[in-house]
Amino acid sequence: MKQTPELDRIQEKMRPGVLTLKGFLGHDDRKLADILEVDHQTVQRLQLDTARIAACLQDLAERGADLMEQEVLVDNRYLIKVRDDRGKIPSPWGDGLFEKGDVDLIDQKTGKTLKWNRLTLRLLEAHGFFGGYGSEYRIDPEALVEILDPATITAQS
Amino acid sequence: MTPIITAVLVLSALSGVLTLLLLVAEFFFANYGECTIDVNQGEKVLKVEGGASLLTSLAGQKLFLPSGCGGRGSCGTCKCRVLEGAGPLLPTEVPYLNDEEKKSDVRLSCQVKVRGDIKIEVPEELLSIKEFETVIESITDFTHDIKGLRFKLPEGETIKFKAGQFANLFSKPYEDVREETSRAYSISSAPSDNRAIELVIRYVPNGMVTTYVFKHLKEGDKVRLIGPFGEFFLRDTDREIVCIAGGSGLAPIRSIVLDMIDRGISNRKATFFFGAVSQRDLYYVEEFKAIEKEHPWFRFVPALSKDDSDHPYEKGIITEVVARNYGDMKELEAYLCGSPGMIDACVKVLTGKGMPEDRIYYDKFS
Repeated sequence: MKQTPELDRIQEKMRPGVLTLKGFLGHDDRKLADILEVDHQTVQRLQLDTARIAACLQDLAERGADLMEQEVLVDNRYLIKVRDDRGKIPSPWGDGLFEKGDVDLIDQKTGKTLKWNRLTLRLLEAHGFFGGYGSEYRIDPEALVEILDPATITAQS
Repeated sequence: MTPIITAVLVLSALSGVLTLLLLVAEFFFANYGECTIDVNQGEKVLKVEGGASLLTSLAGQKLFLPSGCGGRGSCGTCKCRVLEGAGPLLPTEVPYLNDEEKKSDVRLSCQVKVRGDIKIEVPEELLSIKEFETVIESITDFTHDIKGLRFKLPEGETIKFKAGQFANLFSKPYEDVREETSRAYSISSAPSDNRAIELVIRYVPNGMVTTYVFKHLKEGDKVRLIGPFGEFFLRDTDREIVCIAGGSGLAPIRSIVLDMIDRGISNRKATFFFGAVSQRDLYYVEEFKAIEKEHPWFRFVPALSKDDSDHPYEKGIITEVVARNYGDMKELEAYLCGSPGMIDACVKVLTGKGMPEDRIYYDKFS
């Protein structure tokens, strides 16, 4: 994939302190095109379906939501805490504003954790962006297949 | 294959050079001179130097449109109708405008450049919005993640607002944040206390402005505030009211209750349900209990959802507590402030008890 001027502009918005305090890239210093390409290859290899991943994580967020933002045990496996903050975060792709509110998931079976919000899911589903290495919002595709039931996130034949 | 690649490269290089030339030409030669911005059909006529964005030009004339991102085209809140002189709709505006807004000439003022005379239309109340260079008089830790801040206005200045409205607080550049950023917070003080503004702010992990407030601000610091904004305020009726809030959502309710006392509104029963998890999340309890003691029309009901200790408050989730305190609610009106989830849950309970939806007021800041 080629790093276009458009991707340059998007990557600039992903820097810490532009749209969010810590940005979207963690300590990843690769070009955005390379980040997207490497994760795309992993997604292909694992036969994952980004729309189904986003739907699965959104479903967990909804089932883990508590009016008083307390932890909820979902499926007797995932400890989920959903923050419900006011306001919206803009997408670095410029394709909308997404409600704030982080979801923290601890998989009690593997000990692995995930963190996401509505923007994370949008970037994953619409742009194939899983987050840079070291970003606390990175949804690592390799980790996903260990945390979630592969049948719910792989492409249906 | 090679001639095709060469042609593409040459074309790309040519368009790059042309773009660069245009930018240089605009920088050196584009002089739009003095332009006129006509606001609300002559209600205000502003003379500005052309070339800047409409948002910036208006702010330079002390007319502040709400903006959550400081004019970076990423929040979509600085909308206004541009009746003449805006030029064509830009691709950067399209994602933030719905079909109705596009038809009505609504534009993002941060994206529209003033290149000639412009006619705009803004809501009347925006004309009374002011900018204040305040000084922090006090910072109080209310809970583990909520602070109260009192901002003193400059000598001789006062703010006029309706209880329940909010102000935008601007953070200065810090750490990786290179530009001023603003967020909206409800005013918690009474309108009669017009020489200062009090805000209640809850820490948002990784929040650009709350991190600045919690980790960088100290008493005596100067802070820029703009306001008031918002349609959340006490309606002028005789109905009994029910207020429901959680966390920092207490702020506008406090302002409304203090304002009712100041204005001598004692003919309306008012009950304030404040939802929290445990006692460590409660604040302003003494103040509201004192108001309750002094004013028979007011009742304060804190409710704890997860605190098994021996406490004098209601137990349960706030919506359950409200539900068990009322039968039919069709004659009441409600004021809600809290997380979007809390507001949605409250609306469901209130409408389920007969309250018409158009009598339920809230501000989701969304």
